[in-house]
Amino acid sequence: MRLFWEITRRSFRRHLTYRTAALAGLVTNSFFGLVRAAVLVALYGDREVVAGLDVQSIITYTGLTQAVIVYLSIFGWYDLMNAVHQGEISADLLKPMRLFSFWLAQDLGRALVGLVLRGFTIMLVYALIFDISYPAGVAQWGALVVALALSWLLSFAYRFLVNLAAFWSPDAKGIGRFAFVIVMFFSGFLMPLRFFPDWVQTVAYLTPFPHMLNTVVEVYLGVVTGSALVQALLAQALWAFGLVALCQFVLSRATRRLVILGG
Amino acid sequence: MIDVRDLSKHFQVRKRHEGRMAVLRDFVTRETHTVKAVDTVSFNVAKGEVVGYLGPNGAGKSTTIKMLTGLLVPTSGHLTVNGYTPWVSRQTYVARIGAVFGQRTTLWWDLPVIESLELLRYIYRVPEQTFRDNLREFERVLELNEFLTSPVRSLSLGQRMRADLCAALLHDPDLLFLDEPTIGLDVVAKERIRGFVKHINEVRETTVLLTTHDLADVQKLCPRVLIIDHGKLLYDGSLTRLQARFGGKWHLEVDFTEDYADVTVGGAELLHYADQRAVYAFDRRDLSASDLIGRLSARYSLRDISVQEPDVETTVRRIYEEKLLVQDPII
Repeated sequence: MRLFWEITRRSFRRHLTYRTAALAGLVTNSFFGLVRAAVLVALYGDREVVAGLDVQSIITYTGLTQAVIVYLSIFGWYDLMNAVHQGEISADLLKPMRLFSFWLAQDLGRALVGLVLRGFTIMLVYALIFDISYPAGVAQWGALVVALALSWLLSFAYRFLVNLAAFWSPDAKGIGRFAFVIVMFFSGFLMPLRFFPDWVQTVAYLTPFPHMLNTVVEVYLGVVTGSALVQALLAQALWAFGLVALCQFVLSRATRRLVILGG
Repeated sequence: MIDVRDLSKHFQVRKRHEGRMAVLRDFVTRETHTVKAVDTVSFNVAKGEVVGYLGPNGAGKSTTIKMLTGLLVPTSGHLTVNGYTPWVSRQTYVARIGAVFGQRTTLWWDLPVIESLELLRYIYRVPEQTFRDNLREFERVLELNEFLTSPVRSLSLGQRMRADLCAALLHDPDLLFLDEPTIGLDVVAKERIRGFVKHINEVRETTVLLTTHDLADVQKLCPRVLIIDHGKLLYDGSLTRLQARFGGKWHLEVDFTEDYADVTVGGAELLHYADQRAVYAFDRRDLSASDLIGRLSARYSLRDISVQEPDVETTVRRIYEEKLLVQDPII
């Protein structure tokens, strides 16, 4: 456990050092957030509420989704893949540590920097420009924290799993690109899932993707409450721990393949 | 400490077609052939030894090291280190060994060296006191303090190698693998690395297995060498013995005071003669250098002489190129 925090701490500090890149990213994410907000507001036209979301909610939605881009690496993450392809992974295998926990700890540091530096700042920018909504009460704030934590774990497990393809294929980047585009659509990043026909939502909820982002958004906006909220968080947890277990299994297969076939 | 018997590693390599439709045939068929990267190799290494592991590129050195460090599973044969089978109990095993690969670093690229080292302390669960003592000692011997707070990416190759050596030894491993630790380094940096390895071996009795292409490393560090080529172990013994057996002839260079028409002398072969200077080759087992000089000075007037012993570099190159040991390995 101590090791985990030491790795997280270092990763956090390391990601803090890229200040110019962070600022550039912040400007880009905010700008596109405002564009998305403007487009959606225009689409609303005279209508007050669409699929249970009013104008204030939809503006808040664009802010939220932009705010978690870095936290959840929505646009993709290829670090493990690169480490495998460049052979750096063998240096990690020579150390007495668990690979999954090691990368998890590193990603936690990265995600926390993303959440603080990018996420909070974007919400602040939004709060200054728009009249956005906020979670009401301790219970909803608590639920949001839980949802955010689970969404990170789930997103990491998914990204890790996708990256493990590198052990089998030298062209795993292509697989990665496809896998991350799917996330953008089915997680409700491009549009809230509520806007889609029922059957699309049904299909989406058979995948882990809505639990990565849509759940966070709906918890924040307060559109899921009561037993539905508990159910949503449970589903998130189930997917997250399920994928973590799958990661461990595939990882053990991957290392066995590596040590038998050679790097 | 290291016990290797009939160790083999075979790789299946995809066969590529040639000629027309080669790409298509590559795509539809999956013919493979077997490459014997390591083929029935046997050796033992005792505690405290420094052993040089030599061989031309592609001989099977790295494959052997990968098996010894648990990164590869052998196709067949027996391999234990300290009673462990490396790839079976990898996590426990790697905690007791150290490894430095000259071509790549085990440190974290973006972190200052000291941060990397401290992280390794947690990974290897090194007690605080041991860590501080070791760090102080290595800092002194490797002169680390000038760059301890710089990020790894900004280090020179020599500095990075020193940092890597320190990292590999902080947890007091019994066994150290060095894979080309002096590659690309200047003379001073090489000396420093060699000095440190010698120090570690003498003070801590750390067993060292070293692969290198720089024979000066071997001459300065390894009383014993193993030579491997095409996956087969060809030689196990000292470099001196190898030199005595395959060293070839000594050379004697002579400057005469005047032009002699004929400077041939019995027992030595005249290789070259021009401008009052002659080069002879002679076998030391038949004729000693002083005898040869005696014979020459009896007949001619000499201004200057120099004796050159055959260098190891040449000997080893001949062993690789002329496959001197392939027919009957000395092991």
